[in-house]
Amino acid sequence: MKFKTLTVLGTALALTAGAAAADSTVRFWYHFDNADNPMDELVASFEEANPGITVEAENIPWNSYYDQLYTAIIGGNAPDAAMVKMFAQPRLVEMGALQPIEDWLADWEGAEGLQDNLLKLTVGPDGTQYYLPVQYVVLYLYYRPSMFEELGLEVPTTCDEFREVANALTRDTDGDGQTDTYGFGFRGAKGGHDHWASFTLGAEGVSLTEGLTSDAGVAGTQFVADLFREDGVFPPSAPNDGFQEIIGAFKAGKTAMTIHHIGSANGMVEALGDDVAAAPVPECGGGRWTAFGDESTAVMAGAEDPEAAWKWISYLSSEGNNTMFNEATGQLPVVKADSESWSLHPQRFVQATVDSLPFAEMLPDSAATADFVNTVWPTQMQRVLTGDIEAAEMNETISELFAE
Amino acid sequence: MTDATATDLSRQDRQGRRAALGRRVLPYAMLSPAVLVTLAIVFFPMVQTAWMSLHDYVLFRPNDFDWVGLENFRTALADEVFWISLRNTVIWMGTTIPAQLLLGLVTALLLNQEFPWRPVARALIIIPWALPSVVIALMWVWIYDSNYGVANEFLLRMGLIQQSIPWLADPTYALASIILTLTWQGFPFFAVMILAGLQAIPRSYYEAASIDGASAWRQFWHITLPGISGVMMTAVLLRLIWVANSFDVIFVMTGGGPGYATHTLPLYAFVKARTNLDFGYGSAIAVLFTLLLMVVVVFYLRRTGKAVS
Repeated sequence: MKFKTLTVLGTALALTAGAAAADSTVRFWYHFDNADNPMDELVASFEEANPGITVEAENIPWNSYYDQLYTAIIGGNAPDAAMVKMFAQPRLVEMGALQPIEDWLADWEGAEGLQDNLLKLTVGPDGTQYYLPVQYVVLYLYYRPSMFEELGLEVPTTCDEFREVANALTRDTDGDGQTDTYGFGFRGAKGGHDHWASFTLGAEGVSLTEGLTSDAGVAGTQFVADLFREDGVFPPSAPNDGFQEIIGAFKAGKTAMTIHHIGSANGMVEALGDDVAAAPVPECGGGRWTAFGDESTAVMAGAEDPEAAWKWISYLSSEGNNTMFNEATGQLPVVKADSESWSLHPQRFVQATVDSLPFAEMLPDSAATADFVNTVWPTQMQRVLTGDIEAAEMNETISELFAE
Repeated sequence: MTDATATDLSRQDRQGRRAALGRRVLPYAMLSPAVLVTLAIVFFPMVQTAWMSLHDYVLFRPNDFDWVGLENFRTALADEVFWISLRNTVIWMGTTIPAQLLLGLVTALLLNQEFPWRPVARALIIIPWALPSVVIALMWVWIYDSNYGVANEFLLRMGLIQQSIPWLADPTYALASIILTLTWQGFPFFAVMILAGLQAIPRSYYEAASIDGASAWRQFWHITLPGISGVMMTAVLLRLIWVANSFDVIFVMTGGGPGYATHTLPLYAFVKARTNLDFGYGSAIAVLFTLLLMVVVVFYLRRTGKAVS
C-alpha cells in the first residue's frame, strides 16, 4: 500500500516537474505611440500556436525606453526580448546584453521572406547578427496643399526654396498682429536630430563623423538657426517641442510643413483629410539626407528561455503577423509578401517613403550615438536656437563626441 | 539573617538588575529595526555613491570599474555645465523657498481669521501640495503653452503683452516660470505648518497687547512672529532639503532645457547617471551637491538657532 502511494506521488511529481519545464514565459518590452494595446491580439495568437509559452508584453514609454532598458540589464532584471533600434546596438553589444541569432536564422524559413538587404543593414558592429528587423520607416516632408495653393507656392526641392516657401507661409491670417501660421514645425527637443540632419548632412563630405566642422557642415546648422532666429518660421516654442507638439501643431494648422514618417500619416489624414501630402525632404548643400527609421527585435543574453524568446520575435517578423504588428504601429512591414499586400496607408505616403529610400541613412554605428541622440544634440541645438552658442560650437561639440 | 532571606534578597536583586538591563536594552531593541532599514536604504547607497564617485564607472561597460581618485571631482569643477547648474540651483532655491514662505505666511494669517466656510478654504488650500508633481508639471506646461496656454491668452487680453511668450522655450523666462510653478506647489506646506503654529499662541497675549494699546503690526511683530518662529525655522529647513533634492517638476516641464537654462545640480547628476549612464561622474556631482547642501544647512541652523533662542 505504502509503496503504491509513493509510486503514485512520485509519478504525479514527475509529471508536474515535466509540465513546469515545458512552460516558459517570455518577457517582452516594446514601445508604441498608439495608446491602445494592439499587442494583445498578437500575443493571444502566438500563445495559441505555441502552447507552453506565455508572453508578457510590456509597453514602456518611449522617452525613457533606453534608460530603463540599460538599467534593467545592469540590474539583472532585463526582459527576455525587446524592441531595439540600430543606434543602441553598439552599446548593447558592448554590454554583452544581446544573444546572437545566426543559428536560429539559418534554420528559419521566414528569413528569405524579409525585404532585401535588411538583415545586412542591421548586422552588429562586430559582424554578428543580433537584430531581427520588424518594421521600418523613412522620414519625409509633410505639407498642407491648401496653404501652398492659396499662396501659389510649389513644394520646395532645395533648401533655398524651402526657406523662401517657409517665409511666405509664416503669416498673420486674421490681421490681429499675431502670427497664426508658421512655415515649419521644427522638433528642438529629444528626437529632433533628424530634422537638423536633413538640413545639415546632405552637404557633400559632411556626416556626423566627418566634415561636420567644415564650412559646409556649419552652414547647415546656421541655416536652421537662421530659420528660427532671423526668419521666425518655426513656432516660438520650437526649442522645447517634441513629437506630440510638432504633430499637434501641424494637425491644428499652426504649421504648414514638418518632417516625420508614415507612422503619423493615418492620424494626419484623420484630422486633415485630403489636405495633407508628402514629399521627400529638400536637397541641402548639394545633396539629400533623410533618416532611415529602423526597428528590430532582439533576444537578450540573459533570457531565461532563449529558444522561446526567438520563437516570439521571429513570429512578429513572419508573414501575416508582421502586417498585424505594423497595423498597430503604423509603420511599414519588413516581410516582402506583407509589403505587396499593404493597404494601410494612403498611396501618397507610401510613395514619398519609396522616393526617399535612395538617400535614407542610419546614424553611425558608434557607442557615442546614444549620447548624441539623448543629450548632446538636444542641448546643443537648443543653445543655438536660443542664441546661447554659435552654430560652429555645436558642430564642434558633436564632432568631439564622435571622435572620442 | 536566615539563608532563605538571603536567597530572597539576591533573587530580588537579580530581578532588579534584569529589569534595569531590560530598560536599558529595550529602547535599542525597539529602534533597531528602523535603524537597520535606514542603514540599508539610506546609508548604504550613500556610501556606495561616494565610492562610485572615486571610480570611472560607465554603466554600459559594467566590467570596467577603475579607481580614478578625485579625477571626477576635478572634471566637475572644470565643467561649464556644473557651474551653470550650480548658479541655477542657487537662484532656484534662493527664490522658491522665500516665495513659498511669504505666500504661506500670508495664507496662514488669512486662514486664521474668522470667516464663513473657513474649514472648506483650509481644505482647498492643500490641493496643490496634495497633487503629484508630474500632474502639476504637465498642468503648468499647458498653462505656459505658447500656442494654446491660458497664461498667454490672459496676458494678451489684458494687453500686458503684444506677442505670445514661449515661457518654457525662452531661456530668459524658463527658470522663472518653473520657480512660479514650484512656489504654487509648495506654499500650502508653509501655510499649514504656520497655521498650526498660530493656533498655539494663546489669545490672552493679544488681549493683553490690545489693552496696552499695541497696533496690529506691533502685535504681529512682537507676538505672532516670535510665536511661529520655531515652526517657520523647521518648515524652512525641511523645504530647503526637499526643494534642493527635487527635480521631478523640472524634468517633466523642460528636461533641463532649453539648452542648460533650467539645469540644476540634482537634475544634472540624474541626467549624467541615468541617461548618459556615467555613474562615476554623476555620483561625483551628487556628492559635491550634498556637501554644498550640508554647508548651507549647518549655516542656516546656526544662524536661525541663535535667532530663535
